[in-house]
Amino acid sequence: MTLLELDDVSVYYGRIQAIHNMSFTVEEGEIVSLIGANGAGKTTTMKTISGLLNPTTGTIKFMGEDITKMKAHIRVVQGISQAPEGRGIFPAMTVLENLDMGTFGRKDRSGVGEDLERVFDLFPRLKERVKQYGGTMSGGEQQMLAIGRALMSRPKLLLLDEPSMGLAPQFIRQIFKIITEINSQGTTVLLVEQNANQALARAHRGFVLETGEITHSGTGKELLANPAIKEAYLGVG
Amino acid sequence: MSMFDGPKPLDTAKSDQANAKMESSGVPPGSSAAVPRPNRKFGRWSDCWREMPRQKQWLILIPIVIVAFLLPVVNPPFITTEPGNDWPLACQLMAIYALVAVGLNIVIGYAGLLDLGYIAFFAVGSYTAAMLTSPDSAFIKIPYLWTLPVAIAVSMFVGVLLGLPTLRLRGDYLAIVTLGFGEIVRILATIIPAMKGQPGFQNVGHPPGVGADGIPIFANSNGTPWYWLTLSILIIMLFLVGNMERSRVGRAWIAIREDEDAAETMGVPTFKYKVWAFALGAGVGGLAGALMGGQVGFVNNQKFDVVTSILFVAAVVLGGSGNKVGAILGGALVAYIPLRFTAIAEYKFLIFGLALVLIMIYRSQGLVPAKQRLLAYGTKAYAAVRRQNAENARRPGTPDGSSGSGTPPTTPVPNAEGSAS
Repeated sequence: MTLLELDDVSVYYGRIQAIHNMSFTVEEGEIVSLIGANGAGKTTTMKTISGLLNPTTGTIKFMGEDITKMKAHIRVVQGISQAPEGRGIFPAMTVLENLDMGTFGRKDRSGVGEDLERVFDLFPRLKERVKQYGGTMSGGEQQMLAIGRALMSRPKLLLLDEPSMGLAPQFIRQIFKIITEINSQGTTVLLVEQNANQALARAHRGFVLETGEITHSGTGKELLANPAIKEAYLGVG
Repeated sequence: MSMFDGPKPLDTAKSDQANAKMESSGVPPGSSAAVPRPNRKFGRWSDCWREMPRQKQWLILIPIVIVAFLLPVVNPPFITTEPGNDWPLACQLMAIYALVAVGLNIVIGYAGLLDLGYIAFFAVGSYTAAMLTSPDSAFIKIPYLWTLPVAIAVSMFVGVLLGLPTLRLRGDYLAIVTLGFGEIVRILATIIPAMKGQPGFQNVGHPPGVGADGIPIFANSNGTPWYWLTLSILIIMLFLVGNMERSRVGRAWIAIREDEDAAETMGVPTFKYKVWAFALGAGVGGLAGALMGGQVGFVNNQKFDVVTSILFVAAVVLGGSGNKVGAILGGALVAYIPLRFTAIAEYKFLIFGLALVLIMIYRSQGLVPAKQRLLAYGTKAYAAVRRQNAENARRPGTPDGSSGSGTPPTTPVPNAEGSAS
């Protein structure tokens, strides 16, 4: 089933067009990676899907329903949850409070405990630090917290904006492992990354963004094998 | 050559080891991570306070409240502002400023919206009280005490009116717009005939009651009853604001203050909650204005200048933005210092400026830094986490799993559910 569908979406910052007529779909149960260089429009795409930005043209459909005009905080309730770029955790809140904020839009409070368990299973580190202030944690832990918090709303679609940003290689590997695990538990994941190698290796499908347009698409393995992409994003000449 | 396509086997092997190490080193029993550390960044007082049982809190609170109520009667030497200024009236002014600071703290401290025109709501409250009670006004007259809820309602309405168009702005832009709004209200008071500009309204009403000597209890110069009234209202407000802070609304505000976009993606209707913060803050400001108008007995356009507005902001920042106790302290201090040290009252802005600079350098979170406990049952949950950790520490032989993922349903769970209501 198609979970998310972008159709001919264009986004402008003032007069500058950041996204050019973008169309793609995310099927239920997939991991889809959007890769691209700086300024390719990755984060803009994410913000448009989560509702922080409004597209000028085009439609966004979620589970067959048009959500183009829907406010961001309602999209969360509908099942789209984002771990924002730069982590965007609440520094003056403790880990537990941060996670609790993730449940803000939820109607069913009964499942919260279960989801908290699940997050703690995925990130035992967070459990050790329930009392610690978000702002005092390391970058990797903050990233875990951001993902964990996004999971607390029990999303159908999890949007991850550069989860590997600024992390040590071993942490990156761990984060990607966890993303695969989250996906295997039934959450669809849309991933935006500069770390193309990892992102494509873990993804079912991938898209390459260049200056606001999708230039390549295919399964993760296909894209990894594509010489043009290899050269541009994987650093292999 | 990138770091990603190095010799694969070695790379993964190495990282897997690192992973394994990281996971196994999760929490060695008795490690520093497992033992709850006192939070050094924030004061120990507030931690102590929160861990106290309710009864003990009351035991401490009640004497403080009694002392606060006795303040104008006792007239403590050295602290008193006499002979320069009447001490009960000084107490009243301190209470008013404290109330203003508590209201502004909702806007600045909780929701993080820099409002430089808060005086406008204070003015709206004052004018509401004046125009509904003063014989100079052409409006219908109602008893003074009834003007208090009316003042709250009117200023809340004005707050929403201002908030709806402006709260889409952020940060500096919002500050500038509110600054302008503060001025607009003052200028409107000058140019609208019904608001009487500089002549203003005399003989603003006061609560009923006449003393044995035939002078009204709530006479303009009789600070003590006014102070008691204001203090009672302040205490009620503290309870309401405190409850709000711990509720869903409070959590939403803090989240907006910390990161508005992140809050929105958590499902917080940020715009709605910002308007709420504005409206509630405005309501408290209007209430303080109405009390001030009643006590002074005279309202005109001269008192509601930008400088006073900045003074209000200074009170909140000085006391500790985001902390209601700090706001009270800051408000009271800002009112008290120029009254106490009359010799230097002329230099009060110089002194406040210096004080603010020094506080920003040495104690950037204010005199009483903010520390919210956002979860409704947070106290219990944290206590339970501590207990569990203490137990683990007591049994050093327990396998690592005790604090790992295998632990029975952790204490936060009931708490997370509990905070639903």
